[in-house]
Amino acid sequence: MSSTSRKSFTAILSGFFLILAGLIYWQVIADLSDHPLNPRRYDVFRQPRGAILDRWGTPLACTVRQNGDYVRVYACPSLSHVTGYFHQRYGMTGLERTYNSSLAQGQEVHTTIDLALQQKLEALMEGRVGAAIAMNPKTGEVLALLSSPYVDPNKLDEFWSDYAADPRSPFVNRATRGQYPPGSAVKPFVLAAALADRITFPEERWQDSGRVVLSGRTISNFQSQGWGSLTSLEALANSSNVVFAQLAAKLGPRLLDTLRQCGLGEALPFPLGSAAGKLPPAEQSAYGWGQIGIGQGSLLVTPLQMAAAVSAIANGGQLMRPYLVEEVRGGWRLPRLQRPVVYSQAVPQWTAAAVREGMVLAVQQGTAKGAALPGVIAAGKTGTAETLTGDDHAWFIGFAPAHDPRIAVAVVLEHGGLASETAAPLGGLVMQAALEACTQGGMQIER
Amino acid sequence: MRSLALSWLELAGWFGLALVWLSQGRSLVLWWQLAAIWAGFAVLGLLTRHLGGAHSLLLPAALLVGLGWIFLYRLRLEWAAHQFSGFVVGLAAYCVGLMGNWAASRTKYVFGVLAAALLIGTLLFGVWVGGAKAWLALGPYRFQPVEFARVLLILFVVRYLVENKPLLRLGGGWAAAKYWGPLALFMGCILLLLAVQRDLGPALLLFTVYCILSGLVVPARKLLAAYSGLAFAGIGVGLLLFPHLRIRMTAWLHPWEHAEGAGYQILQGLFALNSGKVLGRGIGAGMGELISEVHTDFLFALVGEELGFAGVLSLLSLYLIMAFIGLRLADHTSDPIEKYTAVGIVLLWSVQVFMVVGGIIRLVPLTGMTLPFVSYGSSSLVAQMWMLGILASVGRVRAR
Repeated sequence: MSSTSRKSFTAILSGFFLILAGLIYWQVIADLSDHPLNPRRYDVFRQPRGAILDRWGTPLACTVRQNGDYVRVYACPSLSHVTGYFHQRYGMTGLERTYNSSLAQGQEVHTTIDLALQQKLEALMEGRVGAAIAMNPKTGEVLALLSSPYVDPNKLDEFWSDYAADPRSPFVNRATRGQYPPGSAVKPFVLAAALADRITFPEERWQDSGRVVLSGRTISNFQSQGWGSLTSLEALANSSNVVFAQLAAKLGPRLLDTLRQCGLGEALPFPLGSAAGKLPPAEQSAYGWGQIGIGQGSLLVTPLQMAAAVSAIANGGQLMRPYLVEEVRGGWRLPRLQRPVVYSQAVPQWTAAAVREGMVLAVQQGTAKGAALPGVIAAGKTGTAETLTGDDHAWFIGFAPAHDPRIAVAVVLEHGGLASETAAPLGGLVMQAALEACTQGGMQIER
Repeated sequence: MRSLALSWLELAGWFGLALVWLSQGRSLVLWWQLAAIWAGFAVLGLLTRHLGGAHSLLLPAALLVGLGWIFLYRLRLEWAAHQFSGFVVGLAAYCVGLMGNWAASRTKYVFGVLAAALLIGTLLFGVWVGGAKAWLALGPYRFQPVEFARVLLILFVVRYLVENKPLLRLGGGWAAAKYWGPLALFMGCILLLLAVQRDLGPALLLFTVYCILSGLVVPARKLLAAYSGLAFAGIGVGLLLFPHLRIRMTAWLHPWEHAEGAGYQILQGLFALNSGKVLGRGIGAGMGELISEVHTDFLFALVGEELGFAGVLSLLSLYLIMAFIGLRLADHTSDPIEKYTAVGIVLLWSVQVFMVVGGIIRLVPLTGMTLPFVSYGSSSLVAQMWMLGILASVGRVRAR
């Protein structure tokens, strides 16, 4: 090339690369898809969209064509906290939001939810305020997740203002984000910590007069009932505040380690997001530790954390990462598969086994008697958490069958009153329904 | 043989694109136009080869015209049909370009006079369209004289520069000024004419190409300094005189602050480009039709959305290939006027592409011009085909 041509071509080539750099920035690096003035932001509402399915392939959310428009239809309103909603005006929540990019490309989201179980749970929780989670304790699969009240994602246009004005906040997912004092439902984990630290042993004898004084202040049993002579396991079964306040006071800050290993005080990774709850500060008086040992004080937990933690007791001490989505597949992309993941070793195996016996005792003859199942040995623990406002919160956590657990549940009823009379029977029904679902579905437990 | 194989490849590429598009669920009523464009270029190729011209530019040009047609069809049937009629006239314009002897000495300065006449005619008898008085009406037909005037101007400038080269090179002082003066005065008047018509894109394009050309013919540092000073002064005066120029500057520098006003068009262009990512959303799947002037100034943004970075990279590569081939042709001729004419045409294309694409990606302010060979506009397409013909004739072995 002559010098004229070479000079010209060099100039043109540098312009070409300048343009290329700009194009790479705007087309590949920058992301303007969510800019409020970008009309493509609303594209997703004008396209067919992948379905969200339950574990048997039943659609929980799917898109149908109505008068030329795509309309999202939800099979089960009580799953609105799981699927979320997908609405042109109100945006998207839940799995619709988490898996939006996959769904928008026509991929299907296969969840671990069992629709039939969810519907039973919905019927059981009818009219109550609270949350319930059913989980496979060996894998961490969430089989049903309910937060009550809930909105009907099919009727947002009609009832939005009612939902928004509802003082019970139906948009809040209490199962993952509700933070409650656990009450006595924390005692299995206190016992596990004490056993693991060799502070007590299952058959240790205690004298329970109905009250105990710690750093000058009294902690008493429910209705100040004295149990007399009882073992550590019986103390768990009868929910003796006297014994557990003393155990916690002896453990002190070491209690926090076990609670942390059980996933409390930490936002567990979960596709719907989750709250962290709250662990108390490590500086406490003996009375302060005593309060924590009976689930009062500044300890706050979510139902999801409790379901995961009780699953750890059930499966021999392993905290499984709770999961909701098994697989995302379809379209051009490779399927993404979620497998059970051991999140941490919460408590030693022998400790978990001992605590399990205490929880079995609680269902057989203790405070959780209401949760007893016909023909199946169940394990459980109730919790009645005092609140500053109104009635106590009622907890039940448990699993069944106790020696080969297939189902673990956590139930909380806001201002539900005495747990042994409200949450425990409900927890029993939930466990029964879940076991039936397992049997009918031939659910694979071992993976 | 090689060119034949390439042509078949090209045909396959086109029909591949058409198939992709058919799969979007629209029927291709005017499919024969696409085939006719290809056939037209094939005939031009044979003709060029028969006349001893350079036919290698026809392949990338055919791809560009074909791509432009497909996108116009995707936008609106009438636009594609209109573009096709422009192409038919363009076939004739190519032949004029190919067969004319543009370096002939007897033409003297007639091109300059013709260009000035066209622009003055536009000023006197023109019609206002889209904020610029840039159209002349001939009965039922309208055309944009500036598209042709700038080719004539390049032909004129090259001739003036080359013929007066020894005198222009004399150095500073009165002697040089005597020869630079008339050219500068003439170009100044032309730019002023364009500015009055509010056709600032072509004015800037012409000025840039003129500066580069004179710098190439008469290399001098002083010239560069003078042109830079002139450019800044011109932009400054323009900003003071024309409010719409200030709006364009605002839109360029602060589009996000004026997202619903001045910056709207440029932001919509960026959104379109951005949504294309690497492979694009597929022809017909984009939302580019929401951009104002998408078929002319912003067609590139639509290509970027629907064919992605891969698509616009190919598109720009075609222009780069054309520039390379054009500059090689410039090397093959011994006639300096022919040589610099070829360089001038290549620069016209390249600078225009740079200004259009640079405007869309906010590298430079928007100037509102068409993408050569691709954008909607029959005047533009005819003028481009004419330039293509002139460039092909550069390599022609003439019996003198």
